[in-house]
Amino acid sequence: MSSPPWVAGMNLWTATRNRANSRADSRGEARLIDFRPVIFVNGILLIVLAAAMAVPAAVDWLYDDKDWQVFVMAGLVTLLAGLAMVLGARPEGRPELTTRQAFLLTTSAWVFMAAFGALPFTFSALKVSYTDSFFEAMSGLTTTGSTILAGLDTMPHGILLWRAILHWLGGIGIIVMAVAILPILRIGGMQLFKMESSDKTDKVKPRTSQVASGIVMVYVVLTILCGVLLWLAGMTPFEAVCHAMATLSTGGFSTSDASAGHWNSAWIHWILTIFMAIGGATFVLFISPWRRGRWAILTDSQIRWYLHFLIFFTIVLTLWQWAVNDWSPGDALTHSAFNVVSVVTTTGFASTDYSLWGGLPQVIFFYLTFIGGCTGSTSGGVKIFRWEVLFAMAGVHLKRLLHPHGVFVIDFNRQRISDAVVDSVLGFVVMYFLTFAVFALALTMTGMDFISSITGSATALSNVGPGLGDVIGPAGNFKPVPDLAKWLLSFEMMLGRLELFTVLVLFSRSFWRG
Amino acid sequence: MIDFRPVLQIIGWILCLLALSMTVPAAIDAMAGSGQWMAFIASAGITLVAGLGLVLGTRTDNRKPLSIRQAYLAAGLGWLVPCLFAALPFSLSSLDLSASDAFFEATSGITTTGSTVLSGLDTLAPGLLLWRGLLQWLGGIGIIVMALAVLPVLNIGGMQMFRVEVVSARERTAPRAARIGSTLISVYVGLTALLALALWAAGMGRFDAITHAMSTIATGGFSNYDRSMAHFDSATMDLIVFVGMILGGMPFLLFFTLAQGDWRRVLRDQQVHWYLGLMALGSIAITLWLIDVRHFQPLTALRHAAFTVASVMTGTGLVTLDYSDWAGMPVAILFFLTFVGGCAGSTAAGIKVFRFQLLFANAVVQIRQLLRPHAVMVPSFNNKPIPKDVLTSVMGFIFVYALAFATLSMMLAVLGLDFVTALSASASAISNVGPGLGDLIGPGGTFAPLPDLAKILLAGGMLFGRLEMFILLVVFVPSFWRD
Repeated sequence: MSSPPWVAGMNLWTATRNRANSRADSRGEARLIDFRPVIFVNGILLIVLAAAMAVPAAVDWLYDDKDWQVFVMAGLVTLLAGLAMVLGARPEGRPELTTRQAFLLTTSAWVFMAAFGALPFTFSALKVSYTDSFFEAMSGLTTTGSTILAGLDTMPHGILLWRAILHWLGGIGIIVMAVAILPILRIGGMQLFKMESSDKTDKVKPRTSQVASGIVMVYVVLTILCGVLLWLAGMTPFEAVCHAMATLSTGGFSTSDASAGHWNSAWIHWILTIFMAIGGATFVLFISPWRRGRWAILTDSQIRWYLHFLIFFTIVLTLWQWAVNDWSPGDALTHSAFNVVSVVTTTGFASTDYSLWGGLPQVIFFYLTFIGGCTGSTSGGVKIFRWEVLFAMAGVHLKRLLHPHGVFVIDFNRQRISDAVVDSVLGFVVMYFLTFAVFALALTMTGMDFISSITGSATALSNVGPGLGDVIGPAGNFKPVPDLAKWLLSFEMMLGRLELFTVLVLFSRSFWRG
Repeated sequence: MIDFRPVLQIIGWILCLLALSMTVPAAIDAMAGSGQWMAFIASAGITLVAGLGLVLGTRTDNRKPLSIRQAYLAAGLGWLVPCLFAALPFSLSSLDLSASDAFFEATSGITTTGSTVLSGLDTLAPGLLLWRGLLQWLGGIGIIVMALAVLPVLNIGGMQMFRVEVVSARERTAPRAARIGSTLISVYVGLTALLALALWAAGMGRFDAITHAMSTIATGGFSNYDRSMAHFDSATMDLIVFVGMILGGMPFLLFFTLAQGDWRRVLRDQQVHWYLGLMALGSIAITLWLIDVRHFQPLTALRHAAFTVASVMTGTGLVTLDYSDWAGMPVAILFFLTFVGGCAGSTAAGIKVFRFQLLFANAVVQIRQLLRPHAVMVPSFNNKPIPKDVLTSVMGFIFVYALAFATLSMMLAVLGLDFVTALSASASAISNVGPGLGDLIGPGGTFAPLPDLAKILLAGGMLFGRLEMFILLVVFVPSFWRD
């Protein structure tokens, strides 16, 4: 009885690696990376994904839609792949990840999840190519919300629910990653948010699991709350569930082509606005009151900047809509608040086509794309914290011009920030804008026009969703974009979601050499 | 309290110089027999009186060097005040320009931007055309002197990397600085003369050759014709101006090194490598696009693409081909190159190539550091380690640059400009390029139809960009005025 091919392959691989390692040891070189724990964890994640596919299957079955078979089939394929990876790469004892393995795991997990999350779209009766499906799944998992689907209002419920579930799972993934993994990997100044409990070695240990489970609880409770409120405000239960999931994860997939503009109710818009704003706030702070005995949200400087920022631009746009476009003050306030919060938190819902508002709103919405929410939230973008550091840095430069020999320090939340953090932030922001420019150029080379390329690159990198212009604006979708551009955009979404360096480090030679 | 007298004295001298240079177009106009010379003489008189008044009124006996604060004020006012006086000939002449238009045109000239509100240049009096060229040329000298002597000492935006180091102990600093200064100015004058001769030899009229040479070496971009370089439609002239623009965007200190015979150091300069490399990449991409999409002949495509890329990147703004109807990739390339600019210590503006190099070096080190958190790695530039405070300065600079760009474009949009016009006008002003994108202010249009307030804002943006932001910002820090 021969073993299944994957097990045989794994054995072969293990043998090869052992040989290579012993060779490397004898020469005093570094060892190759052990892939087994990475594959093992990926397998477990795929099994979770397969389990999640059962939900839309059940819903479709209840609604008496043929599509349930699609999900069962996709679920089975995913389950098989997951089981194979788990069984083939089962490590001995408790898995402990090194820094390299953690980097590899974060990136590969998103690729695998998107690759298998795309299956239901491909298998379904929608006739979507695999490119489109992968784009849709990546857009879902990275909580971007750019879509290639049109005619959402008449689509089978299963598919709509699946898109929302992808958002929701991606949202959990990103929070857990921001709390547990990024600080330890020292990505873009995130070391500042290292848990007090986590140790300072290079080993990534599941010490933070307690905090993580607390955060997941908050996430679930808030989603349920949002869903119930939306239902009370007049959505059907199904729509309420889908929108609650897309809101808390700051994703932006809707169940209607007109997005939130489908509902002409100020109540619904304000509920969505508030929960989007919550989704863009630091989640750890929601559970800190129980831990430290004070309501940390009110004193956190990042949250303050975030709120001031939102309020400022809401007021500016409200005045513009009221003065220039002659809207009633109430409408202007509702829609300005909704769309500003939607773009800053990188959700991407639209309550109305704001690309028709005129020059100033277009310019503002373009810049807002880059801002992003707070660190440790489900939102993307550069993040408020980094802007704060940049502001402080410019201030320090200004002061140093007058007092060349003075010593100036940068504070964040009344704590001094070390030079290493400032350097990481600096490197991050530079890479962010470099990536933005490179991808914008690459997109123009696939034949897209100037505005679509620029805003498409920005919106993918920041995980917002809609761009500006006729094609990919709030009223359009990404269907007409060339296939190559879709792959580029998918990759860029992942880059932005994983805070660039997690992925970029895989391209450095020293990562593989050791 | 700051002692204003030395500052005002410097400005007085600058104004006297400006008054002196106004006599040149006056003479030209008088010879050409156009009645405009009166305007120049009147402006020169006003400027001279103001200048002499400042010089004589602020004479002091103590010869202390300027303090840091005085240096900031002198640098800031030294650019602002001449712009006001240089606008006089425009508003006094028969053109009947409004005050804001005249100020815009003069600022655009002195900051070597090259955005214009004038149309019908082909029939304009020669005096005014020469005045526009002269303004750019003088502005160009001013920038080089400032970039060599003032900015590095004030530590603006990482310019401290370019402090002129004293090579040997035998040489005293002061005579050396004076020698460098005089060498550079003679290089500048020499290059201008060379360009003018070459253009003349290529068939341009004498007057056109001189004004275009001045506008090219200063990376300014004022032309004597509405259609800019396209008026001549000569590949030879395009090539000459192309070379001139590239030279204008090079670090002028290298010419001094070259004059000393140290050409190896010039070849090894990393900033020049990147500068030329980026320019080549952009040119090749646009050439291919022109061949592929617009079906140009390969050589024609190369000629227009290389010229346009050099013109936009160095912030010149001369045009051989109206590129406003280009779409997609070339537009994106030109938009991003606007921000890159030339090298430090050149007449070109923008963020400058070296700042990108410093930041890129730092980002690469960051990636390596992720894998070895405890290793000590220092980014380097031209084989020298980059000091920590330089990196923060550069980042502070770029951040303020981006902020200024964003704020200016939002203010323009408030005044009713559309998305592309607001964004590109703001980028073009702060980077001192000249033309923007879009129908209104693209290479084929002028800035005349913009609202008056927008013109004043843009003129402010040009000064802000030319003075490397911080010279103006520092003045707004409260502790600047306190002791």
